[in-house]
Amino acid sequence: MYQFIIKEDTVLNNKEKNEQNQSAYIDQKKVGANVGFARIRRITGYLVGTLDRFNNAKRAEEKDRVKHGCS
Amino acid sequence: MLTRYENVKMTAKPIRNTQKSNSVYVNETELMDIYKKLTFTAAQDEDIKRENANIDGDTAMGTMLKYGSEGSKFFIDHYVLPENIAQAHQNGDIHIHDKDFYMLTETCCQIDLIKLFKNGFSTGHGYLREPNSIESYSALACIAIQANQNEMHGGQSVPNFDYAMADGIKKTFRQEFWKFFRIYMQIKTYLEEIEIDAIQEKFEQKIVIIRLHLFQVYKEQFEEFLYLNVTQDILRDAFCFASQKAVKATERRTYQAMEAFVHNLNTMNSRAGAQVPFSSINYGTDTSEEGRMVIRNLLLATKAGLGNGETPIFPVQIFKVKEGINFNSKDKNYDLFKLAMETSASRFFPNFSFIDAPFNKKFYKKGDFQTEVAYMGCRTRVLENVYDPKRQTICGRGNLSFTTINLPRLALKAHGDIELFFKLLDKMIYLSFHQLLHRFHIQCRKKVRNYPFLMGQGIWIDSEKLAIDDEIAKILKHGTLTIGFIGLAETLKALIGVHHGESKAAQELGLKIISYMRQKTDEAAKRTKLNFSLIATPAEGLSGRFVLMDRKQYGVIAEVTDRDYYTNSFHIPVYYPIKAYKKIQLEAPYHSLTNGGHITYIELDGDVCKNMDAFETIIRYMKESGIGYGAINHPLDRDPVCGYVGVIDNECPRCGRKEGESVSIKKLNELREIYSNVPIYN
Ligand SMILES: [Zn+2]
Repeated sequence: MYQFIIKEDTVLNNKEKNEQNQSAYIDQKKVGANVGFARIRRITGYLVGTLDRFNNAKRAEEKDRVKHGCS
Repeated sequence: MLTRYENVKMTAKPIRNTQKSNSVYVNETELMDIYKKLTFTAAQDEDIKRENANIDGDTAMGTMLKYGSEGSKFFIDHYVLPENIAQAHQNGDIHIHDKDFYMLTETCCQIDLIKLFKNGFSTGHGYLREPNSIESYSALACIAIQANQNEMHGGQSVPNFDYAMADGIKKTFRQEFWKFFRIYMQIKTYLEEIEIDAIQEKFEQKIVIIRLHLFQVYKEQFEEFLYLNVTQDILRDAFCFASQKAVKATERRTYQAMEAFVHNLNTMNSRAGAQVPFSSINYGTDTSEEGRMVIRNLLLATKAGLGNGETPIFPVQIFKVKEGINFNSKDKNYDLFKLAMETSASRFFPNFSFIDAPFNKKFYKKGDFQTEVAYMGCRTRVLENVYDPKRQTICGRGNLSFTTINLPRLALKAHGDIELFFKLLDKMIYLSFHQLLHRFHIQCRKKVRNYPFLMGQGIWIDSEKLAIDDEIAKILKHGTLTIGFIGLAETLKALIGVHHGESKAAQELGLKIISYMRQKTDEAAKRTKLNFSLIATPAEGLSGRFVLMDRKQYGVIAEVTDRDYYTNSFHIPVYYPIKAYKKIQLEAPYHSLTNGGHITYIELDGDVCKNMDAFETIIRYMKESGIGYGAINHPLDRDPVCGYVGVIDNECPRCGRKEGESVSIKKLNELREIYSNVPIYN
């Protein structure tokens, strides 16, 4: 239901690549561009894997929620 | 009231003919406008495609479902509903839930897997024989939920999950026991296969439960086998070896089966592929070794999460709390109650239901799961039965349909006149009864044939007694016809200026309003011998619909129409600061009034939630206060890139990235030295 595609955004030019050995190259490779955080919330009893699918009213409600103190 | 709608006829022409002659044409253009929206805009821009958060409105099947749904609503409005009812829905006095399914089916059902599995069953796409191991019990449970979901418009529930799976564990244990017994005998003795067979045959049907000391139980019967020249010692050792190994193997296989169960329910498709089945399971009270093994491993698998540690969205899990079974430290399943709370603190589920709440306890008979209250998915409760008071049981029953009354609208109309408010409420309740019966009589005309699984395989109570072309009217009467409400807080604000979190007088008035509604549903139930009930509406799609219309009509009124949603049922508003114990105290009395379902939530911050003493204090307080069903919410975020789980505000506390930013593999490699759950990239 909530899968994330990990995109690589390697932006090293050829010259740089040539200067580096293979392991350093891998170290500097970056992952995670355009990957969002998963925010799981409960609405009306069911869980939802991401806020994107909330309708407008439910988004507003979620934003307003305050915590309940325990003491 | 009943006879008037005995025969619901559909006309070929629109029922509503009071409008101008071109009204149908105008309306059809409206429908086409909706179709255009569905076709040409993305879900993120179009609220109509996000009505239900668990359906992906951007997929082909999701859109196809919406075409069907919107077309069906149009048909129902114009050709089926009596005019006053169609108008009441359209103008937001009431909300007929799942109106698109008006002509088709019922909401939900509590499935008894024990009854279903006995002698096997057919899904309509093939026959499945009686399962013989915990793996097949788990797989068939998913299939049953999926098959039933495709025939109803609501969610599916298993009310006795621990009892049902326990049978599969017994069978698995037996397999494992004899496997290890044979291995031991083959290695340690010179017995022929055929002689071992004789021993197995003699005892096979007897080894039905998990016991570490089986030999003590069967000692005397072994004397028959003394002619085989095996000593008692060998037999005893074989039994010991086999039972110990079998217990371990069964435990391991149960864990894997429960893991698969949760995984399947989060990935399998239903309803033309647009959503996974809405499923819920209740458990916690089976104290047999097998039942305990189910509960323990299900909780452990839930706690571990899905493949990459994600939190499972389905099934909704409900742990049944009961004094003498699992509530106190001396109770047999107390360890599982503890584990349930730990799991809930990190995964939201399980929620907690309370059999000891007075309105639940009066049905309870020890050792009979049919009398243990179960809750479905979002909160639906079906237990009382006025149609057949001898069968106030859970299995095979469910909600037929429900309709919600817009309470704040009535308060706004009444302008602070409480007497007038009750008059308006009265009118609206009767309109809703009228509508529920109208729908019920349509449902009654359906035949077993229309529900090959639900009715054809005997899931619904007594459906096995009907022939395929029989009408289902009689057996549907075991289901509930339910009235719901939304926005009690806004209602009280509009009537007397304060809500029930703010003043004692408001709480008194709130209870008076909901008691009145309950009294009316009880009267209707008594009069019709149908199970009318009152629910604290879950209302996902509804929370914004009513308030938009009311704001248009009555303007922006502070804490009544100024937010984009009405507060859920009898809840204290989510924005109102209140202590947990106080919220529980104030909401508990509404649980006993809403016999069709209810839930109370407490919101905790992440740290309090990790404090298990605080967590347990809240759950115990719910039980002592007479809450029927409750859960604790807390922020649960996850960074899929570095694997962090917890609260994430703007940037991830572990890897430091903001949403959408990238992180170097080097950094992740460093993090992996500290944390075990950082994903590996190549
Ligand atoms: Zn991170």
